[in-house]
Amino acid sequence: MGGRRVFVSGVGGELGTLVASLLEAEDWVGALSGIDADPPRRRLNRTVFHRIHPDEHDRIVDTVVKFNPHVLVHVGVWEPDARAAPYDAAALTDQAATSIIGAAAECSALEHVIVRSGIEIYGRSRGALTRPSESAPIQPTSDWGRTVAAIERTAAQVGERVGVTIGALRLAPVLGPHVPSPLGRLLRMPAVPFSLLADPPFAVIEDRDAARAFVAAARLGLAEPVNIVAPGAITALQAARRGRRIPVPLVGPDWRIARTLSHLAGAPIPDHVAEALHRGRLADNTRMRTLLGVEAQTSTTEVIDRLYHWPSVVRQPARVQVA
Amino acid sequence: MDLGRVISLRASDAPSGVVDDWGRDPALVRSMMRLAHGRWNVSVGGDHYLPRRKGALIVVNARRFALSPIFAAFAVSEALGRPVRFVGRPDTAPVGAFSRRIGGLLDHPDEVAGALAASQVVVMGAEHGDVGRVDHTLVGAALAGGVSVYPAATVSSPFTRAARVEIGPASKSLRRRRGPLSELELADQVRVDIARLLDELGELHTGTPLDWLPLSGLGGA
Repeated sequence: MGGRRVFVSGVGGELGTLVASLLEAEDWVGALSGIDADPPRRRLNRTVFHRIHPDEHDRIVDTVVKFNPHVLVHVGVWEPDARAAPYDAAALTDQAATSIIGAAAECSALEHVIVRSGIEIYGRSRGALTRPSESAPIQPTSDWGRTVAAIERTAAQVGERVGVTIGALRLAPVLGPHVPSPLGRLLRMPAVPFSLLADPPFAVIEDRDAARAFVAAARLGLAEPVNIVAPGAITALQAARRGRRIPVPLVGPDWRIARTLSHLAGAPIPDHVAEALHRGRLADNTRMRTLLGVEAQTSTTEVIDRLYHWPSVVRQPARVQVA
Repeated sequence: MDLGRVISLRASDAPSGVVDDWGRDPALVRSMMRLAHGRWNVSVGGDHYLPRRKGALIVVNARRFALSPIFAAFAVSEALGRPVRFVGRPDTAPVGAFSRRIGGLLDHPDEVAGALAASQVVVMGAEHGDVGRVDHTLVGAALAGGVSVYPAATVSSPFTRAARVEIGPASKSLRRRRGPLSELELADQVRVDIARLLDELGELHTGTPLDWLPLSGLGGA
């Protein structure tokens, strides 16, 4: 088992960096390599980092094929309005999924692929299950949901073609002290909008728990989808109250104005976040424990409480002005 | 012990300002139970048949507009000291959202199967009428998950506060089947068992057209 080569895409993001740092501590991991458009967020000791943009297909293929990984952990996805606008995020995610998973398919040693997905994949259409399990039909109703469905589809096709196992981790909205999250950003605003008529519950996952799930999935060679969701749930109104924010009740057309104002204030509300605030976002996390053997250490309520205690960006002026 | 006191004592245990994994708000349920207690004094019998930790599906008789599954869920929840959910919330705001807060689940076999797999106690109503048809797809969800199905009779009076939920032992199909017939036959057996429980309770008959009106909130047969 020891001496496995593991390749992590999206290692420059907060979640990717966390996954890589946890993998570095694993005995079974021999060589570790990563790729992203941005450098890692913290110091990695063993990981060899390659800074390559998702549209540089040839360089990606060269790098991945040369490394010839046993396990590919594909974390390189862009959530809409997290680090990129929705259109750019979808394009970047599609490019990264196609080129990285496609490149891994060319590797003779490849055995497992673990991809990042999201519980948005189930959609929240009328009559959708309150707490869908992994066997629930895939009917995404948001751009982000369709994006993660496309990632799973691409990975499944590659898996069938080259005969490797594919595991998909369907993450609840990921929150963490440094994670760019449109939901987290919105909840930290001084005034938080909520649906007066529905105020449905949603669940989240802390970045560290999500990273532990990735490491477990890579170690065990997960071969099916698993929901990664913290226990418990919370509504936007309850979150606003816990964070001592001003709850703003909205009905119908008010949301259009609120989304515009929120965008101007620096916290855009993409359609999957708006959907969560209108229709809720829960998922069954039973198989997280049974298949991966990991449990979220932080409940949804605790993650939200921590969200309000994480420090804001502190801008320190340079000691010596050079420009 | 008086039911009102029990409610207020347990009220301090349930946290406020949170919802559980299914969106049920314990504080709101507590308030609803206090409200319901103002109208009905519900006694629960046969709750010893129910598992203390595992999941269970309880099927109650229902009368149109009587909300029997909801009030039965509240009463059984109080008797067991654990959350009890009911089947039949709509999926439109604000009624659906409110129903979810008080423990409502969609009328969908996968939804019920998910709750039972998570060791939840779920109450569903038979169709309206004289112990109407029991939805075999929901019973099938329980069968698939290896969860027992319990018949329960609900009776109440339009003139007094007395109401009763009587739970029977788990229904068992008379024949062993390997295919989908098992859920159909079990659903029929549950219906027979509810009728028997109602007969044992004696039902409520005022001898007036009031028997036909949904005044009771819990409903007779």
